[in-house]
Amino acid sequence: MMKKLTASLIFGASVLLSPLALAAASDDPAVIAKGEYLAEASDCTACHTQEHGGKPFAGGKAIHSPVGEIFATNITPSKQFGIGNYSEEQFANALRNGVAADGSRLYPAMPYTAYAKLTDEDIHALYSYFMHGVEPVDNPTSETVLPFPMNLRFSMAIWNTLFHDNKSHQDDPSKSEEWNRGRYLVEGPTHCSTCHTPRGFMMQELGDQNLAGAQVGPWYAPNITPDEVSGIGSWSKAELVEYLKTGRIEGKAQAAGSMAEAVTNSFQHLTDEDLNAIAEYVMSVPAINNASEDRFTQGEAGNQLAQFRGKAFDAETEAEGARIYSGNCAACHGYNGQGTDDGYYPSMFNNSVTGEENTSNLIAAIIYGVHRETEAGGNVFMPPFGDQPNALNSLSDEQIATLSNYLMDSYGLASAEVTPEQVAVIRAGGEKSPLVQQARIGMAAGAAVVVLLLLGFVLRRKRRK
Amino acid sequence: MSLPSNSDVVIVGTGVVAAVVAEQLLDAGLSVVMLEAGPRVSRAEIVENYRNLPLGNKGNAIASYPSKPWAPHPEPNSGRPGDDYLQVSGPNGIGYLQSYVRYAGGSTWHWAGTSWRLTPEDMRLNSNFGVGRDWPFPYEELEPYYVKTEYKLGICGPSDEAEQWPQGVPRSAPYPMPELPFSPGENKFTDVVRDKLGLRNVHVAQARNSGTAYDNRPACCSSNNCVPVCPVGAKYDAATALGRLEAKGAKILHNAVVYKVETNAQNQVEAVNYLDPDKQSHRVTGKTFVLACNGIETPKLLLMSADDRNPNGLANSSDQVGRNMMDHPQLAYKIKLKEPYWTGVGPVVNSGIMETSQGDYRARHAAAYFRFNNFAQNRFVTFDTLQQGLVGKALDEQLRHNTGTSGMIVAAHEILPDPNNRLTLSDKKDWLGLPKPAVHYDVGDYVRRSAEEFSGPMIQRIAEAMGVLEAPKTVGFRPSKHIMGGTIMGTDSSNSVVDDVCRSHDHANLFLPGGGAMPSTATGNSTITMVALGFRAAEAIVQQMKAGA
Repeated sequence: MMKKLTASLIFGASVLLSPLALAAASDDPAVIAKGEYLAEASDCTACHTQEHGGKPFAGGKAIHSPVGEIFATNITPSKQFGIGNYSEEQFANALRNGVAADGSRLYPAMPYTAYAKLTDEDIHALYSYFMHGVEPVDNPTSETVLPFPMNLRFSMAIWNTLFHDNKSHQDDPSKSEEWNRGRYLVEGPTHCSTCHTPRGFMMQELGDQNLAGAQVGPWYAPNITPDEVSGIGSWSKAELVEYLKTGRIEGKAQAAGSMAEAVTNSFQHLTDEDLNAIAEYVMSVPAINNASEDRFTQGEAGNQLAQFRGKAFDAETEAEGARIYSGNCAACHGYNGQGTDDGYYPSMFNNSVTGEENTSNLIAAIIYGVHRETEAGGNVFMPPFGDQPNALNSLSDEQIATLSNYLMDSYGLASAEVTPEQVAVIRAGGEKSPLVQQARIGMAAGAAVVVLLLLGFVLRRKRRK
Repeated sequence: MSLPSNSDVVIVGTGVVAAVVAEQLLDAGLSVVMLEAGPRVSRAEIVENYRNLPLGNKGNAIASYPSKPWAPHPEPNSGRPGDDYLQVSGPNGIGYLQSYVRYAGGSTWHWAGTSWRLTPEDMRLNSNFGVGRDWPFPYEELEPYYVKTEYKLGICGPSDEAEQWPQGVPRSAPYPMPELPFSPGENKFTDVVRDKLGLRNVHVAQARNSGTAYDNRPACCSSNNCVPVCPVGAKYDAATALGRLEAKGAKILHNAVVYKVETNAQNQVEAVNYLDPDKQSHRVTGKTFVLACNGIETPKLLLMSADDRNPNGLANSSDQVGRNMMDHPQLAYKIKLKEPYWTGVGPVVNSGIMETSQGDYRARHAAAYFRFNNFAQNRFVTFDTLQQGLVGKALDEQLRHNTGTSGMIVAAHEILPDPNNRLTLSDKKDWLGLPKPAVHYDVGDYVRRSAEEFSGPMIQRIAEAMGVLEAPKTVGFRPSKHIMGGTIMGTDSSNSVVDDVCRSHDHANLFLPGGGAMPSTATGNSTITMVALGFRAAEAIVQQMKAGA
């Protein structure tokens, strides 16, 4: 009785608050299909579906964040374990403001800062899809338990005050319809900045560095502003569209890690029109120059086989990196690092991975391998070389550093240096944020998180001026 | 490494049969210890060993796997620990110089991946033709285990029923992956034998990822390097499974040479004993025991384990342990073609003429299947071409011509179980002081008649149809390295070693799955039948252990 009363009170309040509350989930197939498309564009499955055959949107997947593991929730319409009891307004509130139906705060691993851009119409379509187009799965998921003080979810309310802009998308009448559509998709559903924009001390996106490149766990989401040298200004729009469809542009770049997932689960399913709109917009954002060398044109073919061929496998050689390459990589990538003519096996030179100063992607590709699957680009699978059960060979931190230095010296930016310590960090999932430690120190000093937050607040206001 | 005492199951061997049995047991919640005589090495090391070989030795599949002193495997004429490890004698002794690998992962390291099933006829030679032995169960009972094998190993094969082997026998599930395309040479060969001889050359089902990743392993990169090692793990080999077994809780101990299997007063197996490279002995106890250490090492170990209760060796009350040693006696013919065929794109064996292996003629002589190998020929023709004294462009052109116009056709025969083809313990000892295996081998009149009346003439017809410069010759019967028969299966415990689930007739907790159990060889490679028997044995082990027997 009490529950019912509360529910109706909330319902009543909602009616007053928002026009959305009047709408029920639509069972119109066209609306549901649109919602499904938006769910693909938003790549909900990347976090909310377990890999290796997890039930769609049943949650449970651990998201490795710099402050600890965050478990994605069940967002199927299960009434007990999912979002089956959510009203459309509650659903919208979670997507746009990071507030769950019970009032608890979501961590911004859920990109609600981007989904805030979603229009009412699209929220309605998404809601209809999740209520009517998704099978309910009655399974609970693991609780997220972040270390103190990150476990204080209410602190997210303060974070939101400081960093969250919940205004939904508005067209810029001075720009084309395509550009506006592109901006909507990029800033909203496809949430590009979530990975590609560097974050500040409080894990907030740095607006003045929009899409300028950022570390995402073990991977580096590179600069995708239209800067000719640091970004993708040398790409045509058609190339960017091809990349989003296949995860690859021959002789330039290939998607791995979470970008491979995004291409596999999301981008390849978008219409050509939407992909072109994305390209149109991305190529128009402010170009940011933050590297001195173009990452697509470094290096050349070559090998050091003469230094060890014919000697015993354990004989000393100065070309140890080249020998590791020969035994582990050359069967696919070629004895000269040349790859294959069709580009299925990329060349090691003219490759954005070896041409990038940040060597995370090189190290991560070796440790974790590559997997993506697209209709246009087929099934691409490079086995891992870490400690996985299916590692082709399990290479040590030392070996991966030696190999990486050989690859960078021979085929990429020779100036970059990889140490075994760096490899160990990537193997462990990337740098941990100092935030936890610093917040604790701050609290011990009696200053509490609030001080840090206030500091962030002041900084933000300054920047706005 | 400390071993848990009294594991549910102790498995001797880490090859394909051992690995598959182990995984079934682990999945059923049993604890498993695996013991491997040889070392555990990285794929990169074997790949580099191969690349470092001189050209003349690259055709030797075993040369990339130098054996350790404590775990010799046959390495004829190598000057290595395995040089005269396998002692052969008899009219076709040289035809039984097997190669197998005593490394963690076993001999699938260097198999071609060829995965022909047996046919219903292959399993009833005695009933149908009055020769050899019948299997204790029909094909229909083996079929589901073939399917399990095909999905576990990742076997690609044709979806077109007309292309499948056996023909006209329903499959209960499709292959998990499509067949690999033919090379230019195979396309031409297929057309020629169809048009001129009315024979059908069909796709080999093979344990290789065709155009897609499977089982968290990459797609075949067409390196044509399957033998001696797949450099990318696209071909199934048991080494690719070991990490997964460990993740599921298996304990794998390498450099552990099991030399004695112990029985207790009830004549149940109680423990195995192994020597380490320091010649120290260790004892591992368990509840159930599986010996899956290949068709030579398994009977050898049983004979070495003779005790007061089992004076002729374990599992040997029938005196059949080590007898009936079989293989697929193979006649290989190098051919020089008038027109280029070009083999070498794709895997080394990619097609075969199987339909010739069935028929009433099996009452009189052995069946055979025929194939045109798909090995790239450049490495085989280089020395001869260099000796022609050419240089520069002329040399390049001649090399190219010889590569395109050279090839090899092969007749692979079945053989009957003959108790006189026998493995015994040699007086000669290996580095640890353990007896070397000795095998007496005669392919027998059944096979010789086939070569005279059937397979030899057929090879000549095929060669002629292909357009050869001269009639091809063979050096005689050579091994196919498919070791079978030494622990033969049957319902009668007086003339067989194991029952229909590969359980020893003499010891209820001792299982001997693998090629040794096969009562007939047919003509196709034995691995998937060995693995199917492994699945069957694993099921029986789980049942037996759950029942508390």
